[in-house]
Amino acid sequence: MTDEFEPRIVAFLCKWCSSAGSDLAGVSRMEYPSNVLPITVMCSGSVSPLYIFSAFNKGADGVLVSGCHPGDCHYLKGNYYARRRIALVKKLLEFIGLEPQRFQMSWVSAAEGKKYTQVIKDFVKEIKPLGPQTKLRRNQ
Amino acid sequence: MVKVEDIKKEAKRILKEGKVKYIIGYKKSTNGLMSVPAFIESPEDVENLIWDPTCVYNLTRFLVDEKRRKAREKNPDERPVGIVVKGCDSRAIIVLLQEKFINRENIYVLGISCETTGVLDEKKLLKKLNGKKAEKVEYDEKDNFIITTLDGKSKVPADEILAERCLECRANFPVINDILFGEKVDRKLDNRFKSLEKIESLSKEKRWGFWKEQLDKCIRCYACRSVCPMCYCDECVVDTINFAVTADTTAEEKAQRIKWVEKSPTTSENFVYHFVRAIHLAGRCIDCGECERVCPMDIPLRFLNKKMEKEAKELFDYDAGFDPDQPSLVSCFKDEDPEDFIR
Amino acid sequence: MEKILTKKSFSKWVKKLESYKIYAPVKNDDLWNYEIIDIPESIQPDYPNTVLSPKKIIFPQREIFLEFKASNEEGLEVKEILPEERPAIIFGVRPCDARALTLTDNVFKGDFEDPYYWKRRNQTILIGLTCNIPPSFDCFCLSVGGSPHSKDGLDILMTDLEDKYYIESLTKKGNQLINLAKDCFEEPKVMDKKDLEKIQANSEIQIKRQIKDIKKIPKKLKGMFDTPFWDKESLSCIQCGICTYLCPTCHCFDINDEVASSAPLKGKRVRTWDNCQFPDFTMHSSGHNPRPDKASRLRQRILHKFQYFVELYENFQCVGCGRCISKCPVGIDIIEVLDKVRDYGL
Ligand code: SF4
Ligand code: SF4
Ligand code: SF4
Ligand code: FES
Repeated sequence: MTDEFEPRIVAFLCKWCSSAGSDLAGVSRMEYPSNVLPITVMCSGSVSPLYIFSAFNKGADGVLVSGCHPGDCHYLKGNYYARRRIALVKKLLEFIGLEPQRFQMSWVSAAEGKKYTQVIKDFVKEIKPLGPQTKLRRNQ
Repeated sequence: MVKVEDIKKEAKRILKEGKVKYIIGYKKSTNGLMSVPAFIESPEDVENLIWDPTCVYNLTRFLVDEKRRKAREKNPDERPVGIVVKGCDSRAIIVLLQEKFINRENIYVLGISCETTGVLDEKKLLKKLNGKKAEKVEYDEKDNFIITTLDGKSKVPADEILAERCLECRANFPVINDILFGEKVDRKLDNRFKSLEKIESLSKEKRWGFWKEQLDKCIRCYACRSVCPMCYCDECVVDTINFAVTADTTAEEKAQRIKWVEKSPTTSENFVYHFVRAIHLAGRCIDCGECERVCPMDIPLRFLNKKMEKEAKELFDYDAGFDPDQPSLVSCFKDEDPEDFIR
Repeated sequence: MEKILTKKSFSKWVKKLESYKIYAPVKNDDLWNYEIIDIPESIQPDYPNTVLSPKKIIFPQREIFLEFKASNEEGLEVKEILPEERPAIIFGVRPCDARALTLTDNVFKGDFEDPYYWKRRNQTILIGLTCNIPPSFDCFCLSVGGSPHSKDGLDILMTDLEDKYYIESLTKKGNQLINLAKDCFEEPKVMDKKDLEKIQANSEIQIKRQIKDIKKIPKKLKGMFDTPFWDKESLSCIQCGICTYLCPTCHCFDINDEVASSAPLKGKRVRTWDNCQFPDFTMHSSGHNPRPDKASRLRQRILHKFQYFVELYENFQCVGCGRCISKCPVGIDIIEVLDKVRDYGL
């Protein structure tokens, strides 16, 4: 099948853990789907909810925010703040009727290349059946 | 219901003694029924003050104006501003204090308890009267409103025309005040999020259908933002231009300003606007219902904020507007915050 | 041309108009608005006025001007997008709202004719409805040169005579619509004409609000630019866009490029409504704002409507629909403001 739907996932990865984790997956030549557009941010705590809304607005089929495990944040507390904020964003998006699978959060450390690939694999698998995200997408 | 004479007496006193520079309260509007905000500067003007079920406005929004005006003045009058607040409005003051947007010594709070009643929903009233014009609405202290129209008086159970927020109000007395009018009457309320269930219980696609239909109506007049005492940002993501620019801002800096939202009132843009607003009000909205009241397109905005209020309560046991010393919802965390949604 | 149309024949007539895009006031929840409809069952003559006037059809809040796209040969490929070619009819237009279009007409013609506005304007037929009872408590059309049965700007005026409509066709376009379904119409009898006159005269009595001595106002305003009056009047204003967006005569707009992709460059040039009450409306890119506070913005709204516009087009830029009064979140009442202006300093 050539025209199978390939979702586009925007992933906000913190520089110190998750982005490093994805690099590890890369240099270790682990296989995982190429659906991700990674955006490196300084910390998961620096991801403004507006980034997330904007990603969906510009056509993302899924959005991932990923940071260091609790206790490991380079800035000590950033990921705890993120956890709260993201929980609220998730509830809000679900409340207006967006498919919950489309917005996810994960903890991925710099050593967890494997986990990163798994997170992405699962993400793609879960949103493929949903088809393109058209609800919040700008109609250009 | 608290007697307006008591409020007038105090208002006169503080104006005469020069304790406050002016008082923000309520007066009759030109349409004869509803109230409008009043800015009372002299003891003589105090006569215009009213207090009745039409005093719906959350006047704390004008504290934002006051702060801005004062910042522009060369020799500002440092005396506090008197302000009339209901229970819900008083919680806005708490949030403004908590965020250090205003100082306690800059306000003199005339707190009024709603006691056993609340304020009107003008739209419900109009519907109830089939478009007929009400001349006067009084509370009979027995859970009814007495409505006077040209055809005479009629009695309506209060619940039928009370504002939605009053029906779900859990603190109908001012939580902060310099002088309190009326008694603190506890309200029995089994579920403060009841109205939300109507929407929460819909299927995902129905919920989407509902919100799309509602937000498609939005004309982006920003009345919801303008009326909100918490929407005091100098610059909002939906504004087309950078208010923070000065003569020194370089062209480059200006050009780099990100345009997050287009001005077009299309589905996608309207959603970004309302998402941003809902998230930014999470843990700050005190449910005065003003955004929903003013919306010319009748969009049930309160549900969005109410949803955030509910999640703040259920996930983080957080209540906005009761404690000026607690950290704000998203600038704190607990170790045991839920994370079952994280992979 | 004058005719009688029974309420029964009304839908028969409308069916004959199939080839047109038809708009009529529709009630959604508790809100009335103009929407495209298949068949207007019958227009309810007593509907309160729509939140947005037919302005939103002739001058939509979002108008796409053109599409652009990077191209190898020309650098930028630009395609003009004109409104769809399709004649439209708007039913149930309130006389004030139709008059409002005759005012905005002034603005969109002159040295430059706005092709988007005029394309829609010229292909739209306006069928008005006499306000037997005023659709809002705040109507004051009589004060600003209108009336509840004004014919300005309309192609046809319908007046509800209980079981039938009195039809006054006022333009060629109007006559055409009637000729499309001649058999639906009857000739008016002497009695009908008498009923019409009675109802129209009575409709004027029903208008309760007015601005006295409005003629004095433009001159008076001229001397009031620099008075503290505006500070006081605007104290409660929250600077939302309701009064201007809902006003049928307000016509300010903004033009933006909505970029869909930056590489390769692709997007649309779009016109949207804009609003003199927003703080960013007059903000210069230097950071200077010539209307820095709400007093100057309220002043602009009033002066534009009751002084500048009068100087330019010899008409108030207000048709007395009352929307800005009924919908103002803080009860700012343009009639009261103008009353105070007239009596200012007396
Ligand atoms: S919400 Fe509560 S405090 Fe506010 S007006 Fe209603 S009853 Fe009073
Ligand atoms: S008040 Fe209503 S129409 Fe205006 S911006 Fe808010 S939601 Fe949109
Ligand atoms: S200024 Fe007010 S009353 Fe006059 S036309 Fe505009 S909205 Fe209507
Ligand atoms: S640096 Fe990784 S979450 Fe803060």
